[in-house]
Amino acid sequence: MVSKEMASVKIPDLIGKSVPRLDARDKVTGAARFADDLQFGPGLLYARIKRSPFPHAIIKSIDISKAQALPGVKAVVTGKDFPGFIGLYLLDRHIFCRDRVRYVGDPVAGVAAVSEEIAEKAVELIQVDYEVLEPVLDPEFGASPDAPLVHPDLSEYEVVPFILPRAGTNISNHFKIRKGDADGVWNSGQCAAVVERKYRVPHVQHVPIEPHVAIAQVNEGGTVTLWGSSQSPFAQRNLIAKTLGISQSDMRVIAPYVGGGFGSKAGVSMEALAVAIAMKTKGRPVKLRLTREEEFYTVFVRQGLVAYFKMGCDENGRLLAMENKFYWDGGAYTEYGVNMTRAAGYSSSGPYEVPHVKTDSYCVYTNHPVSGPMRGFGMPEMHAGLEQCIDDLAEAIGIDPAEFRKINCLKTDSILVTGSKMHATGLPQCVQEVIRAIDWGRKEPPSAPHKRRGKGIALMWKAPAMPPNAGSSAWVELNEDATVTLGVGGQEIGQGTFTAMAQMAAAALGVPYDWVRVAAPVDTQYSPYEWQTVASRLTWSMGNAVVNAARDARRQVIELVAEAWDEDPEDLDIVAGEVISYKSEESISLKDIVVYGLPKPNDSGWMGGPVVGRGTFMPTYVTGLDPETGQGERAVVHYTTGAQAVEVEVDMQTGAVEVLRAVAAFDVGKAINPELVKSQMEGGFVQGLSTALFESLQLKDGVLQNPSFVDYRIATSSDAPADIHAIIVEVPQDDGPWGARGIGEHSMVPTIPAIANAIYDAIGVRPGPPPFTAEKVYLAMLDAAIAE
Amino acid sequence: MPETAGQTFIHTPTPGLPEFDYIKPASLTAASQFLAEHAGEARPFMGGTDVFVRMRDGFWTEKYIVNVKGLDGMNDVTFDPTTGLTIGASVNMNRLIASLEVKEHYPLLAEAAHTVASYQLRTRATLVGNICNASPAGDTIGACMVLDGTLHIHGVDGMRKEPLSTFFVGPGQTVLKPGDIATAITFPIPPAGYAAKYIKLGRNAIGDLAIVGVTALGFPDRGAPSGYRVRLALASVAPIPLVPTQAEAILAEKPITEATINEAAQAAMDASTPIDDVRGSARYRKLMVKNLTRRAVTQVWEQIRE
Repeated sequence: MVSKEMASVKIPDLIGKSVPRLDARDKVTGAARFADDLQFGPGLLYARIKRSPFPHAIIKSIDISKAQALPGVKAVVTGKDFPGFIGLYLLDRHIFCRDRVRYVGDPVAGVAAVSEEIAEKAVELIQVDYEVLEPVLDPEFGASPDAPLVHPDLSEYEVVPFILPRAGTNISNHFKIRKGDADGVWNSGQCAAVVERKYRVPHVQHVPIEPHVAIAQVNEGGTVTLWGSSQSPFAQRNLIAKTLGISQSDMRVIAPYVGGGFGSKAGVSMEALAVAIAMKTKGRPVKLRLTREEEFYTVFVRQGLVAYFKMGCDENGRLLAMENKFYWDGGAYTEYGVNMTRAAGYSSSGPYEVPHVKTDSYCVYTNHPVSGPMRGFGMPEMHAGLEQCIDDLAEAIGIDPAEFRKINCLKTDSILVTGSKMHATGLPQCVQEVIRAIDWGRKEPPSAPHKRRGKGIALMWKAPAMPPNAGSSAWVELNEDATVTLGVGGQEIGQGTFTAMAQMAAAALGVPYDWVRVAAPVDTQYSPYEWQTVASRLTWSMGNAVVNAARDARRQVIELVAEAWDEDPEDLDIVAGEVISYKSEESISLKDIVVYGLPKPNDSGWMGGPVVGRGTFMPTYVTGLDPETGQGERAVVHYTTGAQAVEVEVDMQTGAVEVLRAVAAFDVGKAINPELVKSQMEGGFVQGLSTALFESLQLKDGVLQNPSFVDYRIATSSDAPADIHAIIVEVPQDDGPWGARGIGEHSMVPTIPAIANAIYDAIGVRPGPPPFTAEKVYLAMLDAAIAE
Repeated sequence: MPETAGQTFIHTPTPGLPEFDYIKPASLTAASQFLAEHAGEARPFMGGTDVFVRMRDGFWTEKYIVNVKGLDGMNDVTFDPTTGLTIGASVNMNRLIASLEVKEHYPLLAEAAHTVASYQLRTRATLVGNICNASPAGDTIGACMVLDGTLHIHGVDGMRKEPLSTFFVGPGQTVLKPGDIATAITFPIPPAGYAAKYIKLGRNAIGDLAIVGVTALGFPDRGAPSGYRVRLALASVAPIPLVPTQAEAILAEKPITEATINEAAQAAMDASTPIDDVRGSARYRKLMVKNLTRRAVTQVWEQIRE
């Protein structure tokens, strides 16, 4: 761990410098290799998957004989072949369904054949007889005693200690907050204003430009290699090895560049299918690549949410109490999703200090697609309602919504919803910055008589949601010419982490940035361990490991030179690739020492040798929370906070909403690479805008109606405002590298409510759940008799 | 229950295209003959932007794909100041948009083509293909109709002309018979003093199919009681591209005022028969026909008056 003194040490020039991305050239020229680019020769087999056409059914029988008989088919597998369970936090999934299907697309059987076409034909020849069951299509109903059970065996599933399933129900996690006495506040009549609201947020999808691809090969001895588009090579190694009952060391995951992840390639989704099929075709690699349609309905989607908020404040606008109830639509399997509902629970006050909070966050099984991690991990969905409700409460008490947020937002040392104290935070500065940048309070005239303008603001907070002991590691190896090879296990998924890591390694070691090479692709056989590329945790956690590894290498070099020069190591430094002495003013290039060491005097031998630094990091201070109250000493490692404000224009004749400009300010602790931080703020805003205005998985009786880009619209650059003003606020994190904390996901958390609040400011109507499509806005205006 | 009995069965497209034979005839005559001889199992293709998608999705299962690009002058754009514009069937939309003659004399065609899909797709997509695909949502069809376009068809009996007003029969269905190949579309010189507008309402700014599209073309006409004629065409609100004749009649007969435009917009709305689908409800579509017809006609009217 980088100790607290870090915040006070001098920050190297390279930290805070927008150096060019390491991967830009390869990606722009097409040289970068992605999973589907890898060549496996003529032995490659192709897999296709037989999937459930029903949202909920019992499998009565499966007949694979015709498929097996088809020439060119090399293997047909079903759930019978793989009895084990798989999952990250709750083991509720089989690789292939064994007795029951739980969503349209649930894998029932897999085929490997010499071509994709033959595999597809074989899939059509597999006959499955089902007994159709009543599906659960709504999380609130799913949580009720009347709902049919999606997982009757829930009580028997293996689960991590901090997730609390309710046996005999569809509730796979119930997280509670009981802070203070919210009931008492309501009963006492202390509140000058109370607002109660219900919100709904639909399922959306990550839609990475590169669909999921996995290639698996099992050799005769049983060792497994998996190549895939992956955010989580190590988690995949661990989870798949456990399910198949093999050693983690016999399971190797190689992860080339990723064409977008956003959470969809975290944990394990379709990768286990490829491995399972390859178990039956030993020696021959098997490739499974999803079609765009499969991408939409068979891998992770974002959880849907039905949320109830009740908020009250005193006559000065000070928040007194909140009572929140969340029904998360977890879909068919919640092995990963359960932790999102926990995260939403321990963040359920939003970024506000509220003395009395009562929260119930339920993760509910439904027969919808599998809900899993997506950029923001529950926070965009929760903030969507919470931040609109805050606006309504501000209006009810007659205080400007920006002012109301200034009064109530978290400050350093505020008491959090889990009972602990907020660390140093720049949230109040973020609020100030966006208010200033959006010219809050000034109403601009619309661009045409049939349009109206409005402004909206929303705040956010989010902690890395992960096990308390998620770890990182790194190595730093110096080459003959003193260039540096940096080994990491976190993945470059477009966010620029390899660049930031190279910067940190260079800064901590004392060499120029362009001397550092990242050892890629990440390969669990050679790369150091990393839990997963999720939770916006790499800059902070992997960054700490990298800095530690670079400092370890630096120490080795300095100790060697100190011995050679007979000087105190404290007087030596490494600057721009030269070891220098502040005392003797001697210097020597790293090139001369880092592999072959240095000669001892008088030809009496050698000292030193190859330099390899190692570093690890794991938070050690996260405590458990009381299962009845959600109170504890330290629920999370830290919170990144921020704010967005937008200006919109609504067409009164069509309902179309245009976002004219956006401002974003986030407290990132320390921006290692400001341009990359701003890119995250811009990209996150556009993805947030897309979910606010366009995106929704339209499910009808469990069947997806829009599984392609024809009818699942996402924002293009033409839909994004030309002006997204990103503002970096830096209040250092005590245990982050040079004070840094994450920003990748946070940038889309407040966007839905910021836009919703701006629409309300423009037209005085709230158009209901996102997406705020032109039709929805127009019909809401029609109901309010303001449409033209 | 066998899954085929399931009402909820989801269509799952295959990863690749089905097998087909690719035919490249040497002449229009040979092409027409092949297509006629293989009626029901052969399909002509131009840019392929609809053909390959529909084949991959399993909706079209023709055994033969007949490449008719590049036959007998089909790749030409020509303009004659007396007879008008000819656009060959295999001229892609980006070429159409870039054509100086189109820009000068028929900017509506470029405007409408510009709303089709994306730049990348428009390097393949063709105007004639957009028409022959006969989607009620076709973005360029309205422009071709109000500009009085005529399709030139090569069939087994030789060349003939088809006016667009009677070309469309239903969604994806036209009067074309097996063996017919649309070789070009021609447009007369537009009426003097005309102005035109295409307003497309999509779910997002670019690349979408029209929820509603309204094309309006107006010009002074002493023969009309109002002194003007306005041609209208509506997309995505009926089984075929719709001409709201009642609305056109109102604008020809009554002095054009805000009230007349409102009345015409109402008539256009009344003529439309949209459906509910994932892109929009019938109710919203009808309301938008009214609002966007009003908007399009008003904009055109402001340009053509005096």
